[in-house]
Amino acid sequence: MSAATLPHEPRATLAMERWEARRRWARAGIVYVVMLLFSLLFLGPLLFAALSSLKTDPLAYPPRIAIPQLSPANWAAAARLGRAGARASLWGGFAPGADVPFELTYFVPDGTEAAPPTVTVPRRRPGGGLGAVQSVRYAADHAAVVPPREVGREAGSATVRGEQVAGTFVTYRVRVRYVGDGPTLDHLPIDAEAPSRTQAFVRSTLPPTRLERLGLVASYDNVAPGVLGYVFNNYRRVFEEARSVTTGRSLFLSWTASSFIIAIAKVLSTLLFASMAGYALARLRFPGRGVIFVLVLFAQMIPVQVIFISNYLVLKGGIFGLSRLWGQATLLNSLTGVVLSGLVGAGAVFIMKQFFESIPREIEEAAMIDGTNQWQRFSRVVLPMARPALGALTILTFQGAWNDFFWPLVVLTTPEDIKTLPIGLLTFRNVYGTTGDWGLILAGAVMSALPIIVLFVVFQRYFLEGVSYGGTKE
Amino acid sequence: MGMRRREFAAAYLFLAPFLVTLGIFFLFATARAVYFSFTNYDLFNAPTWVGLRNYAELFRDDLFLTALRNSLVFAAVVTTVQTFGALVMAAVLNQRIRGLDFFRAAFYMPSITSSVVITLIFLWMYQRRGLFNYLGTQFLAYLPLLGVFLLAVALLQAAQVLYERSRRLPARWGDPALLVVSLLVAAGITWALVFYGVIAPREVRPVDFVWLQTRREVPGAFPGFLRAPVPLLAIMLQNVFTTIPTFMLMFLAALQDVPAAHYEAASLDGATPVQQFFYITIPAVQPVTFLVVTLGLIGTLQMFDQVAIFGNAVPLKSVITLAYFVYNRMFPGAQLPEVGFASAAAMFLAALTLVIVLLQRLFIRSEGRR
Repeated sequence: MSAATLPHEPRATLAMERWEARRRWARAGIVYVVMLLFSLLFLGPLLFAALSSLKTDPLAYPPRIAIPQLSPANWAAAARLGRAGARASLWGGFAPGADVPFELTYFVPDGTEAAPPTVTVPRRRPGGGLGAVQSVRYAADHAAVVPPREVGREAGSATVRGEQVAGTFVTYRVRVRYVGDGPTLDHLPIDAEAPSRTQAFVRSTLPPTRLERLGLVASYDNVAPGVLGYVFNNYRRVFEEARSVTTGRSLFLSWTASSFIIAIAKVLSTLLFASMAGYALARLRFPGRGVIFVLVLFAQMIPVQVIFISNYLVLKGGIFGLSRLWGQATLLNSLTGVVLSGLVGAGAVFIMKQFFESIPREIEEAAMIDGTNQWQRFSRVVLPMARPALGALTILTFQGAWNDFFWPLVVLTTPEDIKTLPIGLLTFRNVYGTTGDWGLILAGAVMSALPIIVLFVVFQRYFLEGVSYGGTKE
Repeated sequence: MGMRRREFAAAYLFLAPFLVTLGIFFLFATARAVYFSFTNYDLFNAPTWVGLRNYAELFRDDLFLTALRNSLVFAAVVTTVQTFGALVMAAVLNQRIRGLDFFRAAFYMPSITSSVVITLIFLWMYQRRGLFNYLGTQFLAYLPLLGVFLLAVALLQAAQVLYERSRRLPARWGDPALLVVSLLVAAGITWALVFYGVIAPREVRPVDFVWLQTRREVPGAFPGFLRAPVPLLAIMLQNVFTTIPTFMLMFLAALQDVPAAHYEAASLDGATPVQQFFYITIPAVQPVTFLVVTLGLIGTLQMFDQVAIFGNAVPLKSVITLAYFVYNRMFPGAQLPEVGFASAAAMFLAALTLVIVLLQRLFIRSEGRR
């Protein structure tokens, strides 16, 4: 383009400037749109999974974003029903004195007679899988159904098999009462069977969990859920249904505890030992320093598949019988084993060494004149200055330990209680994935990711610094 | 003298916890793995020396050869795609704009969550009635609309550029300001055509692509050794999804150090964005590319988690990798562990990783010097 000739023509220059300005604005706009699209691409699967974890069946086809669990009308109904069931609008339940009203609306085409549905409280086990061994108390043993009564009638029309049909919408109210005294139950399931297929189910106080027998039976897993019990049903199931065969404790809670214990212990040991070793390598002069540094580099290159074979055997023998000192014959299936074998990694030592080399020596030399010993200089002078590096190391170590899959998979196998979250989720996947019960798996996955996501949102800076240390591998 | 001895003692006291861990869990472990790889050992009977037989056996074991092929295909495809994808994304995003931190955080989210969580979510999306097949169905259904939209964008853009050029303004074919107008008008046209019923989404049968329980290999037209099993492809897709953001951020950090003047000068000389990408961006991030390729190769050659989590949802042969092969021989369920054989496979994996990383180092370095 003849850019050189333009300045001689003032109007052309003006047009050119406007042209350039317009271009810059448009470019910024396009960049933002592209960034939003990328964000959608990378966050999409996570967000969609989190949303679907609320659904009764996350595999329902076609997948929808507008789900009943997100409708405020349903929240209000669930809270009301929870209050009626156990005076608990949040988590609901079925307690003595309960009187739960539930309305169902059917469409009755003209020419047929409306009849109330048959409502029963089924003896249905809440879920199978890992919870199948627990003894369950059934709401059916304590509930009495007051027969449905017509409470409303409205003329209208509906589409039946592709045809517009005139008829009446008839609403029935059924009451489920708690008879006598007894325990508070978590769930109150009901089945409502329509008298015939011509009388079609339209809606109810809460949407049915599923429609069975070609729409004849509207089945509800819980008609007194409370608002949280309704929205986060899968999350509640994660804690309540998966229980240990031996202790009866919630597996997911045990796994979370294991994960936290291992991650926190590893963070503490790594911070202390890596800064000690890094300090020695960066500051002190001693024979063997070069060799040790080469070993640090070498250890980072060894794949875990090479070392896990021997490490497994070492833990099996309790680190050469050392664990017998505190009464453990083997360190397999023990959190101590996982922690002891990963007290401090070569990568962490490398990071701390690099950091200490960047601190000026003079500060320490001043302390040396004051007559402090080596440990005091390290702990009182150098360590407080290492806060940024220690922050990044904390995040990296915690994330590495929390997400670690391979080593816990090798060490922690039985009982189920001892596992960490990642391998616990593998158990979920093996037990519930085969039956297609993805609600529970997704809810577990979302919850296990939460601590890291919270950590990331709060300490984003350290995570991004971690990238500059060369990847986030432990 | 006393001073030096004190420093010596202090150093080893400071290093003691690390040296003990390193000694037992790395050095001893590595040495033992080397030793085991020359023996026949099943954990119950004492190891017997067999020399190189385990290594020879490896290449007669069908499952090992499958694992080797899978690992190599996986590493080659994923490393290439993720490096190139991350670089292109970084180049697109290399703008000094407000709110970059928010976007960086958003992109980084898949990388911080554990491989288990991501794999479970993808496994769910790969179900036959899952999200991937649904999106495929929607894409096919809306294909006519998309075609009309793209055609309209192209025509509008061409018309505008020609008009601006007739006014002697230096309009490029991809000029952003004109593109915004083209996109908006084309969207309006498409919407109007749908509204008046000229075009409509097609009725298509739901896509029922089997991602998991299949022995199919793609692309079918390729010779056998270049194909990848469909389930392995599923893992590749997932892996690229989680690693691209991390590597993109590494590239982005490097790109932000490239003076903007370089791009401006090139732009004045009439270099297109694509030319700028090849002649400025790629040379500028050479050291980061080296790091990204190295980390990518190490990560992909040692891929394990995804195989273990996909588990019985896919045929083992189509996804098994070297890392999983080692684990599988060490803990073969009902059979006796083959510790020696597993160790030989592990040593092979370590050597392979080292050789490939060194090879790419030679390659990238020489590329850089040219």
